[in-house]
Amino acid sequence: MNAPLHETSPTFDPLRARADFPLLTRSVHGKPLVYFDSANTSQKPAVVIEAVDRFYRQHNANVARAVHALSEEATTAYEGARAALARFIGAGSPGELVLTSGTTMAINLVAYSNLQPRLQPGDTVLVTQMEHHANIVPWQLVCARSGATLKVAPISERGELIVERFVELLTPEVRLAGVTHVSNVLGTVNPVRELAHECRRRGIPLLVDGSQAVPHMPVDVQSIGCDFYAFTGHKMCGPTGTGGLWARRERLESMPPFFGGGEMIREVRFAGTTFADPPHRFEAGTPNIAGFVGLGAAVQYLEGLGMANVLARERELLAYATDALHSVPGLRIVGEASGKAAIISFLVAGAHAHDLATLLDLEGIAVRSGHHCAHPLMQFYGVPATCRASFAFYNTTDEIDRFVAALDKVRRLLA
Amino acid sequence: MSAIGPYRDIVLDHHRAPRRLGRLAPPAQAAEGVNALCGDRLRIEVRVEQDRVTAYAFEGECCAIATATASLLGDLALGRGRDDLALLERGFATLIGGGIAEIAELGALNALSELARYPARRKCALLPFATLSAALRGESRATTELPA
Ligand SMILES: Cc1ncc(COP(=O)(O)O)c(C=O)c1O
Repeated sequence: MNAPLHETSPTFDPLRARADFPLLTRSVHGKPLVYFDSANTSQKPAVVIEAVDRFYRQHNANVARAVHALSEEATTAYEGARAALARFIGAGSPGELVLTSGTTMAINLVAYSNLQPRLQPGDTVLVTQMEHHANIVPWQLVCARSGATLKVAPISERGELIVERFVELLTPEVRLAGVTHVSNVLGTVNPVRELAHECRRRGIPLLVDGSQAVPHMPVDVQSIGCDFYAFTGHKMCGPTGTGGLWARRERLESMPPFFGGGEMIREVRFAGTTFADPPHRFEAGTPNIAGFVGLGAAVQYLEGLGMANVLARERELLAYATDALHSVPGLRIVGEASGKAAIISFLVAGAHAHDLATLLDLEGIAVRSGHHCAHPLMQFYGVPATCRASFAFYNTTDEIDRFVAALDKVRRLLA
Repeated sequence: MSAIGPYRDIVLDHHRAPRRLGRLAPPAQAAEGVNALCGDRLRIEVRVEQDRVTAYAFEGECCAIATATASLLGDLALGRGRDDLALLERGFATLIGGGIAEIAELGALNALSELARYPARRKCALLPFATLSAALRGESRATTELPA
C-alpha cells in the first residue's frame, strides 16, 4: 500500500466508471442526485446488481448441503467470492477469511471468540479516540463481563493519532488493541503497519478496522502485519449484509466457535459436538449467499478499475473539494491529517449540521449529518454533530461545484 | 433557493429572530428538553395562572427547526391550558407525520407540515412541544429521541 500513486493511469476513465452506476442517474427533489455519502454506504455498479439477480434467477440453492447441481453451483459461487475477496485484501489463502455480515459482526466475533476467553480482571483493551462505535462497544461488552477496562489512545486537534502515546499505552496488561485503518469521520489514514509492528513486539494482538480502507485504496493485510482485519462489503460496491474477518490460519484455529448451528460442525452428538475447521467454524447457519456473489462481482469490478486508480482519483476529488470548501465563509473542516482519505467533515458557523443536510438534500445533494457513530470523537471536538461529505471514484468535480455553490446558498439562508 | 421544504420564510424568520427568548422572573415552571444525539438542548419556562399559560420564554442551542418551533410555540401556548395544549401537541404530531394537511388552530406552525417528508427531523420540531408539556406537568426533563 501507499505506493507513490499520484495520477490515475491513462486507461482509467472516471466518467465511464460513473456510468456503471445506474442509481447515479436519478434525481432527488427534482434535482440530479449528488451522492456524497459513500462512507456510509457506496452505490452499486450494474455488474453487482446483475450478479445478484442472476444468482436468484439461475443458481439459487443452499450451500454445502445437497449433492444436486444447483447446490454445487451455489457453493462454487460462494466459495469463489471468498477466494476473490481473500486475494483482493492480500490474504494468504481463502481459508484465512471468515465471511461475516460486515465489520460489526467481524469485530464481535473477535471480541467473543478470541478476546473474552483470555480476559481477566485488571486487563485492558486499547482503542483510539477516533473509533467507530463498532470498534468500541463490543470491547466494552466483553470487558464488562470480565472486569477488564477500555483505554483510549489520544489524537491531535488535526485528527491524527498520537503514535507515541499509543505505543506508551501498550502496557503488559493490554490484551488486544483495536485501531481503525481510516477514520470514517476525519478521513485520517492511520499508520497501521507501524502500529502493528509495535503491537507484535509486545505480543499484543492488533485488530484493524478496514471498513473505510478496503473500498478506497490497495490493501494488503499480510504486509500490514496485524492479527485481525475486519471490513464490510456494502461500502465497497457490494451488497449490504456482507463482509469479512481476516486472520492467520493458526489464529483462527485457536478460536472456539461464537455462533452454533448448521454449517459450522463436523459431527454433532448430544454427548458433544466437534466443529468444522475455520473459516466455516465461524459461519453458522445459511449465509448471505447472493450477497457474497454480489460482493465477488464487486471485487472483480474494483480490480478491473485498479485500486491504485481509485485511490488517485479520490485524492484528486479530495484536493479539489478541500480547496473549494475553503472559499465558503464560516466553514471549518474537522480532520486535517496529512494524506487523508476522501472524507470531509465540516461545521458552518451559525448553522446546525442537520439543517445544512436537510437543505442540501432539497438541492439533491446527499451528505450525512450527525455523530457518525463516533460519539467519543464528537466529544473530543466538543460538537454534537458534523456534516460529512464523502467521495468515491464515481463522483465528479462538477458535483463538487454544485455542492459548494449550494452550501453557500444554504449557509446564507440560515444566517 | 428553489426548494425550501420545511424552511418556509416564517420558519427561517423565527430561527433568525426567535421570539420570547430568555427567562421569566419567578414564579415560573421550567423544563429542559435534550436530544443528545442531535445535540439539541433547550429550556422552556412558563407561568401558569388559573390553569392558563400567561407567560412563556425559552432559550437554548438548537437546529433551526427546533428553534423556530419553540419560538412559534410561544404564540400558541399563551392563554391556553394544559389539556388544550396536549391536544394540540397530538395534532401537531399528526400534521408533521403526514396524517393531516393543516390544523387551523396551529396557526403559523402549519408551516412545518413539510416535515412529513423528513421523518428524521420530526423529533426536532416535537422537542419544544414535549418540553412545554413536561414543564406544565411539573417534570424537569424531556426528550424526543429514543434512548440510544
Ligand atoms: C470505521 C467503521 N467501522 C465500522 C463500521 C460498521 O460497518 P457495518 O455497519 O457495515 O458493520 C463502519 C461503517 O459504518 C465504519 O465506518
